[in-house]
Amino acid sequence: MQILVWSPFPNLITMENIKESSKSWKNDESKTVTFIVTKDCQLVCKYCYLVGKNSKERMSFETAKKSIDYLLSSPKHSNEEAVVFEFIGGEPFLEIDLIDQICDYIKTQLYIKEHHWFNAYRFSFSTNGLNYHTNKVQQFIEKNKSHLSIGITIDGTEIKHDLNRVYKDGRGSYKDVLRNIPLWLKQFPGAGTKVTISSADIPYICESVLHLYSLGIEEVNINCVYEDVWKEGDDSIFENQLIKLADQIIEKELYKKYTCSFFSMKIGKPVSVLLENHNFCGAGKMFSIDAAGNFYPCTRFAQYSLRNKKALIIGNMNDGIDENKLRPFLTLDRFTQCKRECLECEVAGGCGWCSGENYDSAETDTIFERSMANCLMHKARVRANNYYWNKLYRKLELENESQSTIAVPNTLNNKC
Amino acid sequence: MIQYLIIQLCDTSTSYCHYNNCNKVSKLISIEDLKAGIILAMKENLMIQFVYPDEELTEEYKKIINSIDHNDIVSSLCKDKELVTSADVVVLHDWTALQYFQFSKTQSYVLRTSKDDFFDRHIMLKTVLPKTKRFNVVFTDMESFGEDDYEKYRKILGFLSDEVSNAFCEGNHVQCNLLTDRLELSVMNNCDAGWKNITLAPNGEFYICPAFYIDNASSVGDVYKGINIPNPQLYRLDYAPICLHCDSYQCKRCVWLNKKTTLEVNTPSHQQCVIAHLERNASRKLMENPKVVSTLKEPSEINEIDYLDPFDRRDKWDYEAMQKELIKFHKENY
Repeated sequence: MQILVWSPFPNLITMENIKESSKSWKNDESKTVTFIVTKDCQLVCKYCYLVGKNSKERMSFETAKKSIDYLLSSPKHSNEEAVVFEFIGGEPFLEIDLIDQICDYIKTQLYIKEHHWFNAYRFSFSTNGLNYHTNKVQQFIEKNKSHLSIGITIDGTEIKHDLNRVYKDGRGSYKDVLRNIPLWLKQFPGAGTKVTISSADIPYICESVLHLYSLGIEEVNINCVYEDVWKEGDDSIFENQLIKLADQIIEKELYKKYTCSFFSMKIGKPVSVLLENHNFCGAGKMFSIDAAGNFYPCTRFAQYSLRNKKALIIGNMNDGIDENKLRPFLTLDRFTQCKRECLECEVAGGCGWCSGENYDSAETDTIFERSMANCLMHKARVRANNYYWNKLYRKLELENESQSTIAVPNTLNNKC
Repeated sequence: MIQYLIIQLCDTSTSYCHYNNCNKVSKLISIEDLKAGIILAMKENLMIQFVYPDEELTEEYKKIINSIDHNDIVSSLCKDKELVTSADVVVLHDWTALQYFQFSKTQSYVLRTSKDDFFDRHIMLKTVLPKTKRFNVVFTDMESFGEDDYEKYRKILGFLSDEVSNAFCEGNHVQCNLLTDRLELSVMNNCDAGWKNITLAPNGEFYICPAFYIDNASSVGDVYKGINIPNPQLYRLDYAPICLHCDSYQCKRCVWLNKKTTLEVNTPSHQQCVIAHLERNASRKLMENPKVVSTLKEPSEINEIDYLDPFDRRDKWDYEAMQKELIKFHKENY
């Protein structure tokens, strides 16, 4: 049962004062094409799902070119209104020369082919930020700035960041990332960072989010890992951290300028199978390309992302996409992959999943078995989320009431 | 709920479906495992279907097999000619067999054929269909159907539909899976391997169907510990998103082909869907003959539709209609 009473006096609450998360580019209507340019990274983050990182598998320009040629000559796979070319690793900026070459090729081909994606494309990066300041990266940014989105991952306080995000020799990377944050925020004002929570990070959530706000990062996109890493009692500690964070955000009125994705009005409600039966992610609608020129429905299906299963390849740069292998992804719905417990869950709204992790943890080689590893964490989040909104609404309600009281005599005076 | 137990008696047992069995080395199921399989079937009320190798079995095996009510599936090439004459289902592996084989009105037949052979020789079915109780055509290379092949297949089904129609007019109610199965179906009637039937292989272990055994897939239990299918729901119709929006009720919905082509047992390939819809539409054409309809106990309603693959219209899927279909299906099946 939903315990939250959302709006006993809805007209009295002013939503304008609450900052909303920025909407995704083209509202997620765009195609995402991911180039896994390298499987190497300077860091060995402890929570990283990429279990097969290595320095050998680097994409060649020929592979990228052939894949782009296939994509742009395949109307069926390039009919979306817009496209995001995403570059990931490992650490993508380790391959900045290659990326620059690929981006130039994409732009040229879009122009030559008079493709509808010309002027409807973006280059997107998720980086550890260590090479952000280098000349080559800066030149690339300057060259492509109007079509670029870059997210630097900084995990919070130094303690929290260095708990997981360490170099191969064990040193923390916080200070090296931190020095690039001002430049990044100057070039991409309003950019958000991505924070990942694993079991060991939970006690640092509140101070980390506040720390990121203090650095000038206005949007903190934070989520728990999808892998089954949780220990008994983690959900309680998590809930307490979120409640502490909620108190701080409300008390300091940080909600006016900053967002934290853990708190959302859209989560924690029952979900109708009839009305909301879609899959949670876009696996299969997007696709990823690796150094060998193999295509995947998402990076999480490439071998370096998988602990237990074989890579799920849906095609390659020579033969194109095997349409039959896309069919399960494009018909994967909530009902078919969820257990009854999930379908009937009264707080299911916003409880996400990763199809790649589902596949990796499933009993059989299927994408139709949803992992329930995050169940308790989601429920803890919903409780804290309810607390946050009830507290914030009441605060705003009381503020509005006091403003209305002042306003009444004026109105009356006018009428007189 | 499992209702049928298929016992693959030997590694060289004939294939009666889409898969090819290339095993040449004979390895029979052990007497102990065979007996244990039969006892399990008796306890669980399972109907047994034995699938035979071409070599004749010893009297010891025959005696055990005959200790329980069962069906026999055998190749036309089996050396045990008495068995070929008495079997419930006889499998023909090439079209030349159609010329010399002595068909019987008491037996059902499976013709395993490549797409190209079917296109070249389908005319032979005209004379064979009326001689049989039931005649099934199974493609051994369904995944190779391409866009050009669909039109050819549609035309051939049209030709065969006319022939079947003529046979009905002459009082001969022929049965051919490609054309007549859909006439009286109002819910899905598929192979249902892993859901309504399971296979006991010569190694004493259970598999979803013989094709999974031949392909060296993981077993799903053994004859002593019992059947243990992981993710069993995925073999059921209600967990097959495309099939739930389909009325080609006669489709085999082969989970092995699904796995082979789409990597998921619950998701059919484009080829599977188009072929099943062409057959459905040919059945619809057959029902235009009042004499055909008059012979049916419960003629099915087959509406005109403008698609051949439900996947292509997934944006228009009607989930409320789907729920009604599911309720109807559950009433029929549980």
